[in-house]
Amino acid sequence: MSGSPAAELPGTADRAAPGPVHHKGPGPAPSGWLDPRGRGLGGRTFALHRITGIALLVYLYVHLGVLSMLLIGRSAWGDFLSVVTAKGFLAFDVVLMFGLLFHAFNGIRVALVGSGVAVSHQRALFWAATVIGAPLLVYAALHVFGGT
Amino acid sequence: MTSVGAARHDAHVLIVGGGGTGGALAHDLALRGLRVTLVERGELTSGTTGRHHGLFHSGGRYAVNDRDSAIECIEENRILRRICPGSFELNDGLFVAVEEEDLAYLDPFVEGCAACGIPAQRLTRDEVLRLEPNLNPELKAAVRIPDGTMDAMRMPLRFFATARHNGAEIRSYTEVAGLLAHDGLVSGAVVHDHVTGKEAEVRADVVVNATGPWSEKVAAMAGVEVPIRPSPGVLVALRGRLCNMVVNRLHKSGDGDIVVPQRGLSVVGTSSWVVEDPDDLGVPEDHVERMYAEGAKLIPAVRHAEMRAAWSAARPLIGAKGADTGRELSRTFKTFDHKETDGVEGFVTITGGKATTLRGMAELCADVICRKLDIDEPCRTRDTVLLPHTAYYSAAA
Amino acid sequence: MSDPETETRMLRVYRFKRGDGGEHFDEFEVPTGPRTTVLDALRWIQLNRDPSLAVRHSCLHASCGTCGVQVDGHEELACVCAMRDQGQEVTVEPLANLPILTDLVVDMDEFFARFPDEHPIIRRSEGEYVRLEDCIECGLCLSACPVAATSRHYVGPAALVAAQRLLEEPRGADCEAVVDWADRPEAAWGCHVGLECTRACPADAIPAERIMALRHRLTLDGKDGGS
Repeated sequence: MSGSPAAELPGTADRAAPGPVHHKGPGPAPSGWLDPRGRGLGGRTFALHRITGIALLVYLYVHLGVLSMLLIGRSAWGDFLSVVTAKGFLAFDVVLMFGLLFHAFNGIRVALVGSGVAVSHQRALFWAATVIGAPLLVYAALHVFGGT
Repeated sequence: MTSVGAARHDAHVLIVGGGGTGGALAHDLALRGLRVTLVERGELTSGTTGRHHGLFHSGGRYAVNDRDSAIECIEENRILRRICPGSFELNDGLFVAVEEEDLAYLDPFVEGCAACGIPAQRLTRDEVLRLEPNLNPELKAAVRIPDGTMDAMRMPLRFFATARHNGAEIRSYTEVAGLLAHDGLVSGAVVHDHVTGKEAEVRADVVVNATGPWSEKVAAMAGVEVPIRPSPGVLVALRGRLCNMVVNRLHKSGDGDIVVPQRGLSVVGTSSWVVEDPDDLGVPEDHVERMYAEGAKLIPAVRHAEMRAAWSAARPLIGAKGADTGRELSRTFKTFDHKETDGVEGFVTITGGKATTLRGMAELCADVICRKLDIDEPCRTRDTVLLPHTAYYSAAA
Repeated sequence: MSDPETETRMLRVYRFKRGDGGEHFDEFEVPTGPRTTVLDALRWIQLNRDPSLAVRHSCLHASCGTCGVQVDGHEELACVCAMRDQGQEVTVEPLANLPILTDLVVDMDEFFARFPDEHPIIRRSEGEYVRLEDCIECGLCLSACPVAATSRHYVGPAALVAAQRLLEEPRGADCEAVVDWADRPEAAWGCHVGLECTRACPADAIPAERIMALRHRLTLDGKDGGS
């Protein structure tokens, strides 16, 4: 009776192969942070922070690209302005303001929590940020829509 | 598989059952240089071993009525402290008299402990309440003994980890579907792998039935009977670490007479009845109530503590027939060499024991197996310090 | 399970057997009572419907940490997760972020591989007493962590808790070595404050708070990830 015991047992080779890894979120592994289902406040603000961060970065490039239109000339700039000052388009500005405010305030929250300074107050910090940020957002929205 | 501790002997032992008994036996046989395969149908210790309250026994409960068992317990207690360092809450335990009738047990208890070599110290009521402020303030007397707490799964897992690193093949989610038995000889088993659904035959020189309350079912596969019945008891885990020491009731023996701390929980146990099917134990509501009622006599806060879990665990109960058959290796555990009891070669059942005596059980069973195989190897487990439980997970490849 | 308040619920259970390569869900109608846990229901299925269903469990009282699963997308210990708190249809899947061995069983080798080498499990209790560490190594935190979902190199909350516990109570460990172990992008700096770990932890090990305390210590020590 020679040979290692493992050789006789069924499924030895199959067990050695790597198994599937499930993660929450759509698509392959790196998207696992995206899905808010089954997550609490911490996980959802984490996901939103990443989304707003990516969105702000994209916006930065778009903004620079748009500004470069000034190089083309007055009439091109004028056409562009009439598109982006239409009421429907202004709504995007409000979304942008939300992204900015959220990312800024939540960023402060993450910095304070993540360096161990204010861990047990993470929920309170979220609500404080909301209480300060929401009126600012409303103020900004009023200006965006109401201003000339 | 690692080359460290490669087998010195050709003999192959197939152990059926991955509880504390199987794990300790795999460890002992691997150190003796035999080829060992252990199969367990679920997770290790998922049958009975993992479910107990975690008492690291001093033998106190047996000091009066069963001195041989008590001596076995305290001896294994000392050995485990040496070979399993860092696995126990070594806070000692108390036997507490809460009613007048309990006091009649006090002197016999202290004398019994002394006779068994269990260090026992009488304490005054004030001393006890200083040690454990949550105890029933009406307590009459208490004795301190070297009980402790263990993690019911992780302590045995150290035996599996060490066995694995010494060349034993430990295979969970692998169920014995039948034994290869004919003409009075068991030559192996048909095993079913739950990971793939595949089946195969595994040959062995000796098959060991270490399945605890399932012993009867497995023995029947070889056409033999073992007089072992599943005898469950109810346990209840409550939120809150109500004590640091193990708290026992100072009386003969009864339901709900022990409270064991388990991390942030307190476990109250236990009760006793007999069932047919070890897979279907049930949790009788009146037993759960009894745990609360009896536990509260020791620690009043039990009464209103929030329940974390209520469950049943089955002991293997050796029936009346068993008193006459099988070799009584000791008072707490038995080996049935089926050649002697039923004329079937190559098949041995081991059963009984307490969670604390797993190493001792394995030593005596391994002696029997080596004698059967004509192998001359001494036991080395008394002095071999076990690997940490996490080593089990680094043993593969 | 034959008490008067029995009601039938449907369990959707994830299945995966190696060899045939198939991943799918099986549905089972299971009788449940007021005390029935998710684990009770799964073991009922094993006993009465499908003995090939592989389920991991051991202590049945939230101490061994082996029965972690996802119930309707939430990490739970099946042995203390009450069926009466779930809906009429309950989906049970294995934990996320660890390789699946079969059905609801994940391969814990990878979980333990992420821990620091020193890993004592006995700690101080109150006064002169000692006790087992809170962490029951269940893996629910790793499953819940959004960073672990994106990277298999991140050591995960449990490993960081173990490191922080060594700094809180060294028990002879080399604290400098523990700090160096933690001061890596895949260790303490891999945490991005998702805070899902504390929410998932069934054993009061407060992983998020401990990880932040660990980062606080690294910050004060002037550590920067060793770059």
